[in-house]
Amino acid sequence: MQSPDIPAVRDALLKRFDSLDDKSSILKAPELRELFGAIKNQPAEKRGEFGAAVNALKVELEQKLADVSEKAQELPPIDVTAPFDMNAPKPQLLPAQNGTVHPLMRELDSVLDIFYRMGFTTVESREIDDEFHMFTALNFPAGHPARDEYDTFVTKQADKNGEPLVAPAHTSIMQHRILKEQGGLLEQGKPIAAVIPGRVFRNEDLDARHEHTFYQFEGIYVDKGIHAGNLLATFKTFLSEYYGQDIQIKSQPFYFPFTEPSFELALSCPFCQGKGCHICSNTGWIELLGMGMIHPNVLKQAGVDPEIYTGFAWGCGLERLVMMKYGIEDIRHFESAKLDFLRQFA
Amino acid sequence: MKVSLNTLRFYQDTYKWAGDLAPDGIDALVEKIGAQLGAVEEVEDMGAKYRDVIVARVASCENHPDADRLHVCKIDDGGVVEHLERDENGFVQVVCGAPNVREDMFVAWLPPGATVPETYHHEAPFVLEARALRGVVSNGMLASPKELALSDEHDGILEIDTDAKPGESFAKLYQLDDHIIDIENKMFTHRPDCFGFMGVARELAGIQGQKFTSPEWYVTQPEFPKANVEELALEVKNEAPELVPRFTAVTMRNVKVEKSPMWMQTALLRLGSRPINNVVDYTNYIMLLTGQPLHAYDYDKVGTGKLGVRLGHDGEKLNLLNGKEATLTKDDVVITNGEKAIGVGGVMGGADTEVDENTKNIIIECANFDMYAIRRTSMRHGLFTDAVTRFNKGQSPLQNLAVLAKIVDEIRQFAGGKVAGAVVDDNHLPDEMRERGSVHASVVTNTEFVNTRLGLQLSTSEIKTLLENVEFVVNVVNEDLTIKAPFWRTDIEIPEDIVEEIGRLYGYDRLPLVLPKRDTTPAKRNVLLDLKSQVRDVLSRSGANEVLTYSFVHGNLLDRAGQSRDMAFQISNALSPDLQYYRLTVLPSLLDKVHGNIRAGYDEFALFEIGKGHSTEHLNDDGLPIEFETLDLVYAANDKLAKPGAAYYQAQGLLTELTDKLKIRVEFKPLGGELVGQGSKPFDPKRSALVYVKDTGIALGIIGELKPSVRKALKLPVHTAAFSLGLVDVLRCIQKSADGYGYEPLSRYPGTAQDVCFRVPDTVSFAALEACIQPVLDAQQVTARLQAIDIYKAEKSTDKQITFRISMTNYDKTMTSDEADQVISAVIKKAQAELGAVVV
Repeated sequence: MQSPDIPAVRDALLKRFDSLDDKSSILKAPELRELFGAIKNQPAEKRGEFGAAVNALKVELEQKLADVSEKAQELPPIDVTAPFDMNAPKPQLLPAQNGTVHPLMRELDSVLDIFYRMGFTTVESREIDDEFHMFTALNFPAGHPARDEYDTFVTKQADKNGEPLVAPAHTSIMQHRILKEQGGLLEQGKPIAAVIPGRVFRNEDLDARHEHTFYQFEGIYVDKGIHAGNLLATFKTFLSEYYGQDIQIKSQPFYFPFTEPSFELALSCPFCQGKGCHICSNTGWIELLGMGMIHPNVLKQAGVDPEIYTGFAWGCGLERLVMMKYGIEDIRHFESAKLDFLRQFA
Repeated sequence: MKVSLNTLRFYQDTYKWAGDLAPDGIDALVEKIGAQLGAVEEVEDMGAKYRDVIVARVASCENHPDADRLHVCKIDDGGVVEHLERDENGFVQVVCGAPNVREDMFVAWLPPGATVPETYHHEAPFVLEARALRGVVSNGMLASPKELALSDEHDGILEIDTDAKPGESFAKLYQLDDHIIDIENKMFTHRPDCFGFMGVARELAGIQGQKFTSPEWYVTQPEFPKANVEELALEVKNEAPELVPRFTAVTMRNVKVEKSPMWMQTALLRLGSRPINNVVDYTNYIMLLTGQPLHAYDYDKVGTGKLGVRLGHDGEKLNLLNGKEATLTKDDVVITNGEKAIGVGGVMGGADTEVDENTKNIIIECANFDMYAIRRTSMRHGLFTDAVTRFNKGQSPLQNLAVLAKIVDEIRQFAGGKVAGAVVDDNHLPDEMRERGSVHASVVTNTEFVNTRLGLQLSTSEIKTLLENVEFVVNVVNEDLTIKAPFWRTDIEIPEDIVEEIGRLYGYDRLPLVLPKRDTTPAKRNVLLDLKSQVRDVLSRSGANEVLTYSFVHGNLLDRAGQSRDMAFQISNALSPDLQYYRLTVLPSLLDKVHGNIRAGYDEFALFEIGKGHSTEHLNDDGLPIEFETLDLVYAANDKLAKPGAAYYQAQGLLTELTDKLKIRVEFKPLGGELVGQGSKPFDPKRSALVYVKDTGIALGIIGELKPSVRKALKLPVHTAAFSLGLVDVLRCIQKSADGYGYEPLSRYPGTAQDVCFRVPDTVSFAALEACIQPVLDAQQVTARLQAIDIYKAEKSTDKQITFRISMTNYDKTMTSDEADQVISAVIKKAQAELGAVVV
């Protein structure tokens, strides 16, 4: 028996393809079926080669079909300069009642507003930075654990010193820059007072309480004669204004390389007035943030004389405030972009 | 760091370290620790668990009549437990199955009604009662160490090994009536001395205004007994002095290794450690006391009389004490016997040289290791030991000999060992440190410096006392203070460290809470933030939802959006593949969130985000990536809604709503083909536009529908469109357009309006027609406005019809229809002449 002529069948099928209305029917063409049927009749030594050729033809037809359907997905050009489409009404905005601002951003606005009223300007943080601003400028000694890669995301790409860039683990990366840029204020007898919101990143596994991406608002205040009592008073004042009630604070000694002395601050639970509830785990207190007097080495590196000027800094997480306020059970909702979540904050 | 109050009390009372430990009660002490030392994680009332356990003497012990393994005992509890059946001697009958029970033994008895300590924290604790065992009544039970939650031992009952009286409280006997205060370790990151309970005791004295006095053996030059037995030679060769600045060791002969006495076992348990044997237990105890880890080797198993310190070889194997095998690296500090590794320095000993019950001769090591090297080795091998917890804080290298002398002394007393050679002290510390006897040089400061930074008015003598309470040496000349930190303090380097010391010892809760004072200069507004707030306002009022999405994306999101991975910053150490790259632009993250929301039942919505993109191609002068902050929005409608018209115009409607409110006039220009910018890659060039500010030519961004490939890859409905605007550019335009574009005065006279429908070839764009007409209107005496109201194209036609409403107002008089007609005809004339428009 003579073997069928594959190139001839191919030519015929390709020709027919162009004229078909239902392009997908090409795969059901009887010629193709006959070719497949003929495989088993080929002499054993030729069977493999023949089968491969038949299959190649089928793959080619399938690809052609895919190309055509991709083409079919393409839409015709439109007049992008027009305010609405042809033969269509002018589009309406979406229903205003569905619109929402992200709860974190709304909360940040109110936080920044309080600090603005207290005399702090806002300087936003960066999302990618270098080792210098992340560690060196903040008095992290070489070899400090925070510098190794267990906690901090680093990039494959290096900076001009050959060091990897880092995803900031705290908004303190801006301290050096602000002290440097606003150092002139001190000479005019004015304080440096800035609050620094931004995204920060920690190389952590996710769960309901841990995110690798979250928001902090840092604050710094530098002037002559600034002391630790000023720091505690500033935050007590902020918290009382934020919660609209008199908040008590409790400081616990802590250690950060970039502040000395350092504290962790707890506030009396604003949800039960310190009586004990599920939010404060029945302790009446909520541990909230780290703070301290800016380390003289940090001031010095930014050109501020620590003998003359002193200052304080804090770094506070934003998500926690919002989660406590609304009883949000899972921190991962914030960056989920789920409308089920977001539209509850209209 | 677990602290046992009974242990501290014992030292305070017996050795007069300081005054009363908790003069105002435990709660007040805990409160004070939180405020002035560090956060307290937990306070465990250990005594509660042992409240019912009574010391008893086995008065008689006979075999059970019906059970081979059981004994019937009469026990003497001194008659302290009431309401029990007693025999004529006043003894109580208890059945016991332990093989070691015998007459005259002192035991721990759990009477009926007592809770078995082992089950104390269980959901349903086991409470004993009087019940018959094979027909003989047993009043409670005699307890094994396991049942007492003291160890895993359950082969027999616990035998009391010290003088005791029947009826005595078992808890009191072994000081189990204890409170364990667990202070968070992270508080002591820079305080290695507080990883020993002596260090904590010193701080407790300090914060309560008491003077602490360290024991003699700790603060004086130690003397080691001369070897009066046959010497055990020891040679130490340190090849890594930069990582092991000090290595001290001594040999001891004829040690009797056995179980530690019960008081030692319970002391370790209370401090969170597990008893093993007396030698190991004493070394652990001294570590818990001083913070200095120690290690004991079996001298004969070491076999060479040598200890070597060197870096490991990659791939070198070592069997560890925990039963696992470590594969060492060239970054690990290794202890050797001169030939092969026998321990991971400062982390964990090796199994081959372990001290066990057959050990006779030992080497005790008391060394210092580089804290960062210890931490890296610990993380690398997943080894987290008590030694690591201490060494990775950087123990003072000035206490080794005192601690070594102390452990030698303990082992002589309690394990019968004899010193068998001179102490080896391989010391690579700088000469200055050795000479001054403190880790850092003295700090010079003054009273005013301290007071200014704390807002206090302490006197020089108050400051001096606070410091001297915790054993600083303070020299005062007028108000200048020269302060020498004690040798165990590694954290006192600069005057600010003294400020923190004073603040803490005095009490931060006593600082004056006063706000900083400043003049009334207003704080500067951040105009970019104000813009963002306004954007959020306008878009949310337009029905859009603000979202936040991660700055990091999976590489395949870049692929699906048609963007290039090559330009994206790559994260090299992410735990999850979802965080491989910094995103190039915000939009792909938004597109990625469309499908899920449609599946969740939302048929039409707009998501927007204000966020940053980064590209390796755009760096600033410092070599850091420029952060492009954009406003990105995606509008999508489920295709089953069959919305009329292209989605593009929906997105455009939202964009112009925003720019109108920001008072920026924009125009849209066709893309005209594929662009190079990564931000443009998801957009379909045939159905997208660049957004420009009218008249200024400033480009604000891009708007359009998505490429079919992008739609398919991200499962987007056909009816999807998006835009992306550069926020800094928008801000620039707002600042520029602050004047001139806004209010229009009202006319006292009524205006008029006419609709005109132009037929133009389909190739004439809307903008072209508008641009043709607008100058005619601008040139009129009257104020004329143009508004498109309809665009129509018949099927298969090559023309389209655009209807405008032209509204005219005259500020000086009422418009007549003639005047209006003149305007309209001028408009028509120009459109006809320039574009061949036909009025229909």
